[in-house]
Amino acid sequence: MHIEHMNYDLMDYVTNRLNEHERKRVEEHLQNCAQCTAQVNELAAADTVIKQSRVEGPTSFYFAAILPRVRERLVSRRRSEWHASNDLANIFFPLAVSVLLLLLLIRIPTDSYSHSTPSDALHQAVKDFNEDEVVQAIEKEYAGVSFSLNLEVAAAGVAEHLQGDKFLKSAVSKQIENEEIAEMDVEGMISDLNAEQVDQVLSGLSERNRI
Amino acid sequence: MTDSSDLELVELFQKGYEESFNELVRRYQEKIYWIAHRFVNDHDKADDIVQEVFIKVYSALKQFRGESSVYTWLYRITVNVALNALRKQRIRDFIRIDEFFETADDENEQPDAILEKNELQKLIEEAIAKLPAKQKAVFILRYHEQLPYEEISHILNTSIGGLKANYFHAAKKIGDYINRAHRTHEL
Repeated sequence: MHIEHMNYDLMDYVTNRLNEHERKRVEEHLQNCAQCTAQVNELAAADTVIKQSRVEGPTSFYFAAILPRVRERLVSRRRSEWHASNDLANIFFPLAVSVLLLLLLIRIPTDSYSHSTPSDALHQAVKDFNEDEVVQAIEKEYAGVSFSLNLEVAAAGVAEHLQGDKFLKSAVSKQIENEEIAEMDVEGMISDLNAEQVDQVLSGLSERNRI
Repeated sequence: MTDSSDLELVELFQKGYEESFNELVRRYQEKIYWIAHRFVNDHDKADDIVQEVFIKVYSALKQFRGESSVYTWLYRITVNVALNALRKQRIRDFIRIDEFFETADDENEQPDAILEKNELQKLIEEAIAKLPAKQKAVFILRYHEQLPYEEISHILNTSIGGLKANYFHAAKKIGDYINRAHRTHEL
């Protein structure tokens, strides 16, 4: 005889979240179903443990300070929006995603690969900072399992390109100044990514089995 | 203003009464903090989420049309910001293992704090942290926040059947994780 188990109601049964009618249905079922009964026992044990655990909350001072801090951030955000032009932001953030993805992609485990000079195509692509070409070149190298990339060369190439662009220069100068891209504020770039951009980076990494 | 409903506060804000936003913050700050904390298990990260949620709320309040209740809308924003914070953390974790980037070792708990932390609590946090994003969100909203499935369905844009399945699997995985940990401890 086919028995329709009631798994999906069991946690609500254990935590007493079912209405009278639902609860009776589950109890009737439990009388004839050893599998769901065992499941209830397991869930009840988990519920007991979870209930025993307690997280210390912050003090009332913390909550009292939330509003002034939100207000402060709103004011400072308005100021920075006033200073930054939309055009700049529209170009900077997609670029930030590309640069971040590039930085993450060139993070190939060095113990698995040789340390030879990067191929000319890769070197040139990085230097030209054509993202498609860089990715293609990296994948080509990766497929041949002879991947190697002199990160400093790559970083310098990317930084050189970025700094050469007059429009982006002001946007990224704070991040890279005259230093190699390795010293870019990667943490800041990640913090500034919106949900869509985070997804782009994660899917870029996952497509290449990097994450 | 403290007697006003959520929707009345939003309408007042849309008419230019800034003070009504303050009341919304006071009303929901603890709820939002705890949801955020359950996602990230860390005070500082939860605090970042709280700040970001209210900034998003402030920016979007003028466009709020009342298609869902205010708290459903707030919870939806909170869950989205929290899940986004977790996704960013995956990128940070990816970078952190590489010595090429010397990013600051942020927010990780100090050894003393870990030692002092309730072991049981730590176990539960680990179990929840291992859940897939959707199951985590459902578990937090159903178990901890005790929201009805209808509300969670609006927040996560998922069918009630799907939510129940997610909730069951989340609870079961947490239970299994606790059992495994206990067995390992006994051995």
